[in-house]
Amino acid sequence: MRADRFHRCVVVLLSLLLTVPIMATLLYSLSQRWEATILPEGLTLAWYGQLWHDERFQAAFSHSLLICAGSLLLSTLIIVPAAFVVCYRFPRLDRWMNVLILIPFSMPPVVASVGLLELFAAGPLPLVGTPWILLGSYFTIVLPFMYRALADNLRALDIVGLMDAAYLLGASTPRAFLLVILPNLRKGLMASLFLSFSFLLGEFVFANMLVGARYETLQVYLYSLNAGSGHFTSALVMSYFLFTLVLTWLATRLSRSNK
Amino acid sequence: MFYVEIDGLTKRYGASTVFEDIRLGLKQGEFVTLLGPSGCGKSTLLRCLAGLTTADQGRIRVDGQDITTLAPQQRGIGMVFQNYALFPNMTVVENIAFGLKMQKRSAAETAKRVAEVIRLVELAGKEARYPHELSGGQRQRVALARALVVEPRILLLDEPLSALDARIRRNLREQIRDIQRRLGLTTVFVTHDQEEALTLSDRIFVMNQGRIVQEGTAEAVYTQPASEFVARFMGSYNLLSPTEAGRLLGVELKGHLAIRPESIRLCEPGEQYSADLGAPLRAIIRQHQLLGNIIRYQVETEGVSLQVDHLNRAADDLLPVGSEIAVVIDRRQMREVH
Repeated sequence: MRADRFHRCVVVLLSLLLTVPIMATLLYSLSQRWEATILPEGLTLAWYGQLWHDERFQAAFSHSLLICAGSLLLSTLIIVPAAFVVCYRFPRLDRWMNVLILIPFSMPPVVASVGLLELFAAGPLPLVGTPWILLGSYFTIVLPFMYRALADNLRALDIVGLMDAAYLLGASTPRAFLLVILPNLRKGLMASLFLSFSFLLGEFVFANMLVGARYETLQVYLYSLNAGSGHFTSALVMSYFLFTLVLTWLATRLSRSNK
Repeated sequence: MFYVEIDGLTKRYGASTVFEDIRLGLKQGEFVTLLGPSGCGKSTLLRCLAGLTTADQGRIRVDGQDITTLAPQQRGIGMVFQNYALFPNMTVVENIAFGLKMQKRSAAETAKRVAEVIRLVELAGKEARYPHELSGGQRQRVALARALVVEPRILLLDEPLSALDARIRRNLREQIRDIQRRLGLTTVFVTHDQEEALTLSDRIFVMNQGRIVQEGTAEAVYTQPASEFVARFMGSYNLLSPTEAGRLLGVELKGHLAIRPESIRLCEPGEQYSADLGAPLRAIIRQHQLLGNIIRYQVETEGVSLQVDHLNRAADDLLPVGSEIAVVIDRRQMREVH
């Protein structure tokens, strides 16, 4: 009984620790004034109204969505076939892939950005300042999540057996991959896509250093609001948070109902 | 002229040889087993036949057509795998219909043939299930149906029963044999289980270390092992070294003497026995083991330990350990092996 109560206490405390900042931000974004008093003075949705009607916010949000979607599309198109080929034909390469996907982690984004600035500021590919450079940079962020999730998914599948069976029933390699392997990767793919999506939506360093105000993303916009009203910023943070929350909930719903 | 002919087939991985110079022929409609311990090359041979692995040398012909370099899709060969290899994202019906879909058959024909084959493997009522909702035996039936529905020229079975438990294995084995007979399907079965091989096969090819060491009917392979390896592999043969054979039976041999446990008889003192079997030997029972319808005795005679299988006829048949008895070895059933 005592151990039980202790465990419950730990869970409650942890939940509080995690939710208090979010609840405080939510409350702040809903309050008219909250300066000299313990509790806010008056509740309002005005900050949200102001935010959602702000054209700069709308632009930043759509920029962020576009870049995220683009990066994820590019990553999916490259990583899914790559992971399949590694697992099916060259399982020995998996070790090298694991080293490869760690490289983006080992290099802090600030350092990587400086390098990218050098490389792409001029020369044959002057990408700095355009959203295109973010697609490439974000690919390196997505790579570890997506490759690991897909490789684990593939390893659990007995792909050699499935491909053999499909071949003997008359399927070519592309058809076997599309009809037999790909549908079974949905779980790993979905999980890594949503994880990467929320990660990319919150990415700041690359976006700020490589593109900045020339194609403003949500995080760059948020940073530029630093000097402005805290209520307004809170409304932005909460909108962003709720968006990711709904998306994550949808993702879990989707992956569950289809299995 | 054989329906399937394998001629001088060789497969190597680097320096190690998986199998070498394999020659065998199958008649149409025959049920043939490749029997051997794991690592003897039997599964790789089957994969070469299916086209999933390419051989380094040799030719494979089916019905006069050279299929050695043909892609697996074009061979008209069906295969059932040990771990089923069912498509997890498809229902039973979708799994079975996959091959017909690849052949672009009409929906009506597909539905008709899938229904037929589902009836054949007794899976009615499970059409909409996914593989993970089925038992091991049912999964293997789906795999069998999936291979049969495209009407292959040859059916390959790669240890299809080893992942199943004993009772289901026996049932499914009989069912596979029954279906194979009804369809007159040329079938190659791979197993390491000699009992499975003996009960199912028209002919058995025993493989060891990449070579076929004996071929023949189940009866012939079991009663006339061609080598010490086959005798050991086929079951519980008593193998006597030349000196033991000399001491026990007064015969002079170069190789080992193989005696089947069921060809040795126990006689209690005073019991009559037929004279042409040879003189009885005095023996002591060291151990006994009840295997249901058979009692397996370990007896010792002249310092030689022998296994004797005795039909468990009556309840009081079990002789206690330490009993002194006489054994008679049926000399006609003995065999010298090298």
